[in-house]
Amino acid sequence: MSNINHNIESPKEKQNRHKAMEAIKLLNTLREDFKAPIKSMEYFYDLFERVHCKHESLHDGKTKIGTMCIQIPSEIIYALDGVPVRLCNGFYTDDEIGSDLMPQKACPLIKATVGHFASGNFTDKPDIVFSPTTCDQKTKAGTTIESFGYKLIDIDFPRTKESEASREYWRRSVKQFAVELSKFQGKKLNRTDLRNAIKKIGYAQSLYHKLSDFRKKEIVPILGLDVFLVTNAFFFDKIDNWIEATEKLISELEIRAKEKITVTGKASPRIVYTGSPPIFPNYKIPQIIEESDGIIVADETCSSNRMFNDMVAVDEWNIYDMMDSISDKYLKACTCPIFTKNEDRIRRVVQLVKEYKAEGVIYQAFAGCTVYEMEQRSVLEAMEKEGIPILYLESDYSPSQGGQLSTRVEAFIESLKTRRRKKK
Amino acid sequence: MKYFAGIDIGSTAIKISIVDENKNLIGSKISASGSMFYKYAQETLDALTNELELNNNNIAYIVATGYGRKLYKEADENISEITANAIGARAAASEFGEIKTIINIGGQDSKAISLDSEGNVVNFAMNDRCAAGTGKFLDVVALKLEMDVNMLGEYHFRSQGTPLSVSSTCAVFAESEIIGLLGNDHSIEDIVCGVHYSIAKRIVKLVKRVGIKEGVYFDGGPALNAGLVNAIENELGQRIFVPKNPQITTSFGAAIMGVDSYNYENN
Repeated sequence: MSNINHNIESPKEKQNRHKAMEAIKLLNTLREDFKAPIKSMEYFYDLFERVHCKHESLHDGKTKIGTMCIQIPSEIIYALDGVPVRLCNGFYTDDEIGSDLMPQKACPLIKATVGHFASGNFTDKPDIVFSPTTCDQKTKAGTTIESFGYKLIDIDFPRTKESEASREYWRRSVKQFAVELSKFQGKKLNRTDLRNAIKKIGYAQSLYHKLSDFRKKEIVPILGLDVFLVTNAFFFDKIDNWIEATEKLISELEIRAKEKITVTGKASPRIVYTGSPPIFPNYKIPQIIEESDGIIVADETCSSNRMFNDMVAVDEWNIYDMMDSISDKYLKACTCPIFTKNEDRIRRVVQLVKEYKAEGVIYQAFAGCTVYEMEQRSVLEAMEKEGIPILYLESDYSPSQGGQLSTRVEAFIESLKTRRRKKK
Repeated sequence: MKYFAGIDIGSTAIKISIVDENKNLIGSKISASGSMFYKYAQETLDALTNELELNNNNIAYIVATGYGRKLYKEADENISEITANAIGARAAASEFGEIKTIINIGGQDSKAISLDSEGNVVNFAMNDRCAAGTGKFLDVVALKLEMDVNMLGEYHFRSQGTPLSVSSTCAVFAESEIIGLLGNDHSIEDIVCGVHYSIAKRIVKLVKRVGIKEGVYFDGGPALNAGLVNAIENELGQRIFVPKNPQITTSFGAAIMGVDSYNYENN
């Protein structure tokens, strides 16, 4: 019927364009809108641009093992010659697609993840997906995803972590995971490969800790936004490339630290960020914080700190010990609010505040993420007891709420500045 | 032969169409609204009747429509631009098939109109009180990019990279966003393309409020911009029909309305 001759995009092309537009907007902000940009961050900007704007695949010819949460041990995936690809999704485009398939009040992260699977539009399509039974919505989303024709295996995850029984239960699940993956890959798990994988991931974690050390200093040489990008890249990047790029970044930060190059203003309040995970390109709240003269010095989220904080601690390098140590890392050290009791999370946040000399905490929950919404009460109480100012925000993936949220964040940051002045 | 005039006085332009007794369009004229709606409307009508070698006595009935319709006191009747647009669109698209949805972007507003199979308006949605995402917005963008507004379409199709969206389609805020993009040396083509997609997304939301059906018709001045047409088609995921002269549809509809009213009153 049209009288103008241009092809109309297919749904896939439209989805790609929408995602590219979301991605480039954030990447351009990171590249251009902050002072003293870091040269070696360009690797990460470019990585996200290649994947989300140019739709390049990174792992052609490899078996891609999709994971739905951080509890699926990457060590075992690497040891069995797979590439872990974490599919937690931050795109509003996919959130809108998922909204038609999920309850209206569901969490945007899950909606976006389900929407992504529903579209089937992947640059690195997972050959198999492992879904740990963590929160209700992720657990149930598994069956929805399976109904689209993906091979998906549930991995039983306990929701208490204090008891010895749950520890045993989870160790069994991890073994089961290794068995399933080993069958899928047609390869037996061996000691050397598992040990190498543990060492490699351990090394990546050590780089994260080095990176974090710079943020403890008085002069902060890197934005929280950039760190989120680095840690988010670990979801899907080739691990060796990631390690090399992060090493370069650390060398540049060493120079910047010596030359006292800062990314902050004269009196930018130091913030610890906790709650629902910022996943590219949904950096809405971190962006508002850092555009309002705050600086995120540390975070307690599963898209960043929680992936790297705790290492696998092996006693004896035999396969049974290694497997048990891996299991413990993914259960005992985890501070996800799905657990019945979660004193660990409060301790972690308080510890981060002290270690990174933060002046306030910003706690964000996705509207629909019930466990984070529920746990804000105990965290707020605990912070009050410790005398740490905290701001609680609810948000989602929609691009439109900026105004109201930024007013609240700005007021909070101003109050931190006033507090500091009065102290002096 | 009797003739009938439809005068559409918009915020930016005055559009006049003249039809004969059989509702055939015999001429039209567009001029800027300027500051004196009434005076310019009269001048434009005179100029058009001269061109068509008619005199004002041949004009049996005048229907005024549009934002400034009440200022044109000589009109025999005045009707809302929604009704006029619906009538005009159906007539203009008659050779192409049935029109179910109209998208109209004017100088300072935008609307989506849903029609039933007889062409009656069943639902419509308009933008809020501001000129975000309208023709005025495109004017501001073109001015900032130092190009004629007619060039926007061409730039759109030359975009090679990812379209750079503007978060606000408010003409005032968007200007500063565009300055920011220009300051960072982004390609003008990608900016233009992003601007079109930002408007398209907004208009598609409006269309969704009245329901998306097959048979979408797009008119108003911005419909001359092929880049914007492309963006709306992509956002809707379907072809839309743009008439040859998208600016005059509403005045054409008013003129047709004049024929019916005249016949009704005189029979």
